Amino acid sequence: MRAPGKLLFLFSEVFATGGLQRFNRTLLAASEQLHAQCDVYSLNDADTPSTAPNIRVTGFNQSKPKFARAALRAASCGDYAAVIIGHVNFLELAAAALRCRLYGRPISLLITHGIDVWSGVSGMRRLAMRRVDRILCVSHYTRAMIERQAPELPPDRFIVFPNALHASWTAPQPQAQAQAQAQAQAQAQVEHPGPQRRRRLILPQRFLLSVARLSRFDRAKGVISVIEALPMIEDATTHYVIAGDGDDRPFLEQVAARLEVSNRVHFLGSVTDQELYSLYLGCQAFVLPSGQEGFGIVFLEAMYFGAPVIAAAEKGAVDVVQHERTGLLVPFGDIVKLKATIDRALADGALRDRLRTQARAGVTGAGPFTFGSFVDRWSKVLPPYLTGDAGMAPCNK
Amino acid sequence: MCGILGIYSGSGAVPDRDRFTLALDSLRVRGPDDSGLWSNDEVRLGHRRLAIVELSPAGHQPMASTDGRYVIVFNGEIYNHRELRLRLPADINWRGSSDTETLLECFRAWGPACLDQLSGMFAFAIWDCTEKRLFVARDRFGVKPLYYSWLDGQLLFASRPTALNILRGASADVDPEALRLYMDLGYIPAPLSLDRNIRKLPPGHYLIADERGLQRQRYWDYRHITPDARMLERREEDLVDELDALVRSAVKLRLMSDVPLGAFLSGGTDSALVVAAMKAAGIEHPKTFTIGFHERAFDEAPAAARIAQHIGVDHTHESLAISDLIALLPQYLDAFDEPLSDNSAFATLAVSRLARRHVTVALTGDAGDELFGGYPQYRLMGQLAGMNALPQRARYLLQATLRRLPWHRGKLLAGALDTRDPTSLFAYLRSLTKDFAPVLSPDILESTAGAHSWFAQTAASFAMDLNGGETASRLDLCYTLADDYLQKVDVASMAYSIEARCPLTDHRLVEWAMRLPWTYKLRHGQSKYLLKKVLCRYLPAALVYRPKMGFSLPVAQWLRGPLRRWAHELLQDRATMDRLPLERQQVLALFELHVSGKRNTAPLIWTVLMLLCFVARQHSTLTLPTVDQKRAA
Repeated sequence: MRAPGKLLFLFSEVFATGGLQRFNRTLLAASEQLHAQCDVYSLNDADTPSTAPNIRVTGFNQSKPKFARAALRAASCGDYAAVIIGHVNFLELAAAALRCRLYGRPISLLITHGIDVWSGVSGMRRLAMRRVDRILCVSHYTRAMIERQAPELPPDRFIVFPNALHASWTAPQPQAQAQAQAQAQAQAQVEHPGPQRRRRLILPQRFLLSVARLSRFDRAKGVISVIEALPMIEDATTHYVIAGDGDDRPFLEQVAARLEVSNRVHFLGSVTDQELYSLYLGCQAFVLPSGQEGFGIVFLEAMYFGAPVIAAAEKGAVDVVQHERTGLLVPFGDIVKLKATIDRALADGALRDRLRTQARAGVTGAGPFTFGSFVDRWSKVLPPYLTGDAGMAPCNK
Repeated sequence: MCGILGIYSGSGAVPDRDRFTLALDSLRVRGPDDSGLWSNDEVRLGHRRLAIVELSPAGHQPMASTDGRYVIVFNGEIYNHRELRLRLPADINWRGSSDTETLLECFRAWGPACLDQLSGMFAFAIWDCTEKRLFVARDRFGVKPLYYSWLDGQLLFASRPTALNILRGASADVDPEALRLYMDLGYIPAPLSLDRNIRKLPPGHYLIADERGLQRQRYWDYRHITPDARMLERREEDLVDELDALVRSAVKLRLMSDVPLGAFLSGGTDSALVVAAMKAAGIEHPKTFTIGFHERAFDEAPAAARIAQHIGVDHTHESLAISDLIALLPQYLDAFDEPLSDNSAFATLAVSRLARRHVTVALTGDAGDELFGGYPQYRLMGQLAGMNALPQRARYLLQATLRRLPWHRGKLLAGALDTRDPTSLFAYLRSLTKDFAPVLSPDILESTAGAHSWFAQTAASFAMDLNGGETASRLDLCYTLADDYLQKVDVASMAYSIEARCPLTDHRLVEWAMRLPWTYKLRHGQSKYLLKKVLCRYLPAALVYRPKMGFSLPVAQWLRGPLRRWAHELLQDRATMDRLPLERQQVLALFELHVSGKRNTAPLIWTVLMLLCFVARQHSTLTLPTVDQKRAA
């Protein structure tokens, strides 16, 4: 049997919060599961020793020149079976490096997430896309946007490759146990290991939840829409809790004050994983009517903990949330429909139960958004001599 | 067009009737034909009527439903009311042919959901005697005004803030946020008003007041409607057909009237199209009205006359000198009981005065520029977006060069390049304060949010991939049209008891226009591209493709000329100035800068002057200008 080849990953970041970073971690975990040897070059991470034996992470502390030199050298000369280009910003560099190889050219896979490729695919970038073997798109929308900008790319170049929950999410928790745990955590003072932080997470009895980065460049996340809808919803005792922080928080607080709902909108800032779990378990609904999700890993998390999901029928979110099956979809920016949908979700217990059950089926067991399914997908993408399965063949140039 | 007034008191303590009658009387000019009053322990409703449809007593208000359960006061028109009658239960015993009665029965049948069925302009209140609940609603665009005050379980509402203040019996308490927005934009956007105790009901919203308190709900939102790329695949001629049909339908609906009807006609695209559609709807010789000016640079009367002749209308025109317009200042200040610095209101007052001699209803072309890409700023936004896309160093170099030029517009352009997103750029272009030193006190500036914050909140509901022009036109729809232009038209026309109707605010037309891709609005530098194609079906190209003139007045010249002394005295009036948190020295410096000719600060100075007039009038200290005829000539 041939010794397994190595994989080279060119990532922007691995060890941080964010959908893209979580995808990268899940991909590495899947590679580890497949016993692949992985060299990871991460632009924005510090150089941190990896805990996995077959995964070596080299961080470049945001130094673009150093990253570029190392990536160029590795891709052009390194002994790799496959090069995984984790962000479209590295595409031209990687494509140029691979072009320099006279022999033993590795398979090249480009991962495209969302806003990074919804526009700007032109010129050199478009040319470079023709050179990669496969383009992995986290959603059908992302694929459609690339195809629209580069219609010459053959359909078989694309693979829709949705994200999934990380391996640590695979153990299904009996809901009652998890709920009791969450309630105990919500009512008690929560102590956290690591950076010492104690705080009491005092939550309203009934609340809607959003988990989002509060950046002024992310106003399309839909947090403002929920704040605008809040004073109109039938149940005036329902509050709105937002987990996440960012430079736009003062502006959002201003919006809440303007709409006279400051007493019902709670900005928690950054939260720990434990706090997040209790929020998902305790909320009446997870509401993030975002217009810019390349995928929306937060929806999967909410589904895992049984929170009914309300999202916008927009871009990548529609791959994750199926209307009336695993969640409820509203047109992006339509406050009237959002309000009506929230009212419906809050009032209809049977609806919430149905959505909960159907959504959890997708993120547990053999569901499409489980880690097991992700590993399975990845094994079909990688070359066969890396996995022992019949993986994909390189495309003809 | 009418005036409505009302009080709901959950505690059952409705204020005295005399004050209510006084407040209702203040709305007389909105409704000179009739008045009415209805009350019980919890509610008092008042109405002043301008009779347009159903001139008999069957149209009298307040009007009760046949079963006596509901009582309505209504200002506006429901254009599709005849069609709605056909959809209501057949056993209704109609007493007359008024749209008021139709609206009442619609509410009885469908409740608040009736709002989705209405095509019209309206502000109305319905009292439910059984549920003891007051329902108050405003049309989708805010064509009709509605002010309200909610305090201690009591809801007061009225068509104008003056009536509300009489009812409240309280003096104004200036809202600093409203003041800041007024100084920034020249108007106060809903829901704010200058008085912190008074709110405007935003367009597309309704209120419910009952023992549980006050709820405000939005029933219509168009911000999320995005351009439809599929329209690009259709033949242009089909789109022209569709738009033509929509305009004609919107105009035809608005011809519903039992009194004489006409149209305001400038030399521009929008009013010309409305008039052409009136002719196409079967009005043999529509009556049209134009105001011209002796100053040729501001005079669209010749173009309007040519359009009128070509379409074949009964056209009336009046030419005004500066002194005539200045003579309207008392009327302007009487009519506008909330500060508005839009000086085109003078022209609207003048044309309303002219029209009233012949008609009671007039159609206007408002909203065309916002819906179809008419303003030069939209083109500018596209150009500036291109400059903003330059590499950072190139942009800085360009800004530095522009700032060094003696040409002030260069400095303004440099400032525009500091903005990095369409909303910020729109806020900068629309701002009156621009790069002037602040005229408001530092306390106000620190404690309030400027216009940009409001625009950003609204724009968060827009689709992500809108270009600069699309973003700007939507923001103009939400703000400039709703709270400046439509308010100006309502108040100015009301001053002469004339009902203005705006066909281009028809919600079906608006929704269609929002879906229209930008290339059909601004193409190769041609604004209102598709709308002009429609107009070409009625007018020769030479009359369609003319430079846009706008409708503003030579205020900059007036302030250096015939109004200079008056303005100076008003600005020197410390008693009035001290009632407001203005930086007096800064205001005076701005005025001196203007009269010296070094820079045109007229938009901002005029804004301050209108605010001072408003405050002075409230305290009965206002002195009106006398015109120096030699300087005016």
